[in-house]
Amino acid sequence: MGIEEVETSDADLVRRVRAGETAAYGGLVSRYRDRLGRYARHMIGNREDAEEALQDAFVRGYRSLARCDDPARFGAWLYGILVNRCRTTGARAARRRRLFVHDEAALNGKHASRPDAAERTEFEDAVERALARLSAEHREAFLLKHVEDLEYEQIAHLTGAGVSALKMRVKRAREQLQMLLREAEHV
Amino acid sequence: MFEDRDEALDRVVRHLRRPVAIDPTFDRRVMAAIETPRRRTIAPWLAIAAVVATVFIGRAWLTGAGTASAFRFELVAPQAASVSLVGDFNDWDPHRTPMTARGGRTAGTWTAVLPLAPGRYRYAFLVDGAEWRADPRAPAAQDDDFGTPSSVLTVERS
Repeated sequence: MGIEEVETSDADLVRRVRAGETAAYGGLVSRYRDRLGRYARHMIGNREDAEEALQDAFVRGYRSLARCDDPARFGAWLYGILVNRCRTTGARAARRRRLFVHDEAALNGKHASRPDAAERTEFEDAVERALARLSAEHREAFLLKHVEDLEYEQIAHLTGAGVSALKMRVKRAREQLQMLLREAEHV
Repeated sequence: MFEDRDEALDRVVRHLRRPVAIDPTFDRRVMAAIETPRRRTIAPWLAIAAVVATVFIGRAWLTGAGTASAFRFELVAPQAASVSLVGDFNDWDPHRTPMTARGGRTAGTWTAVLPLAPGRYRYAFLVDGAEWRADPRAPAAQDDDFGTPSSVLTVERS
């Protein structure tokens, strides 16, 4: 499946925005919000930071729309912006956590009480903790390959990494996730 | 909880592919953000224009005494029919800063002069409305999000 190419509609919306019809950008936001939001949420692990990165990506996309060489592939172009925003926001969030999180349990990967904690299952907690313990590079490669279902060539274009390096990252990510989930079984 | 390793990973992937909740006001927030003009810093620029120090970037340089706040950008592109200067300073709009061919198009050197306030700017040249080029004599932007080459100019406050 990969990144969907919605040729006519995306190109038309981009053309209208470029012609000054700012409201037409709302169509692009609603079209890509959910899918890109899912990636940001899993990549960053925190809803507020993920939505900040997502909003930042949409705003930067709007302000740089002249640089979108192929308006028919606006979605793929925006994906590239989001991947970079997630790297920046994720690194900043990680620094913030290192500075302000002193709770022993949190440092050990146990979550403090959260508003949505009661609604989540043990499995969902285990997955979230396991993802958070992957390196950013491994998590990024795993999510883009297996969750976003992109081809390695597309991921290479988005991330700037080589295909062979990406295959290795995905393999390592799978192995680490398996190990972490196995550990979670025995906790 | 996880019976078989591949099956466990499949289950993880199925879980991660489910939609995530996004704030219902998200679209409105994005549209409000893009409809809010970015702050311009022209006033501070005017205040310090007389004391701007020399900033040298590739083939862009100060235009001379009395106009020390303006930067001349140059690109050698003899085959080009048109060149635009685009960057953070003009919202990457190719229509806002068209470059002029010095001595006519065949001479091949395209220039544009732009006043810039102190700050860090990413910029590029758009050749014939389609080809993005970084400034070959300026530092490349390392944090560019858009998949096209660009350069960095830092204007120091003096």
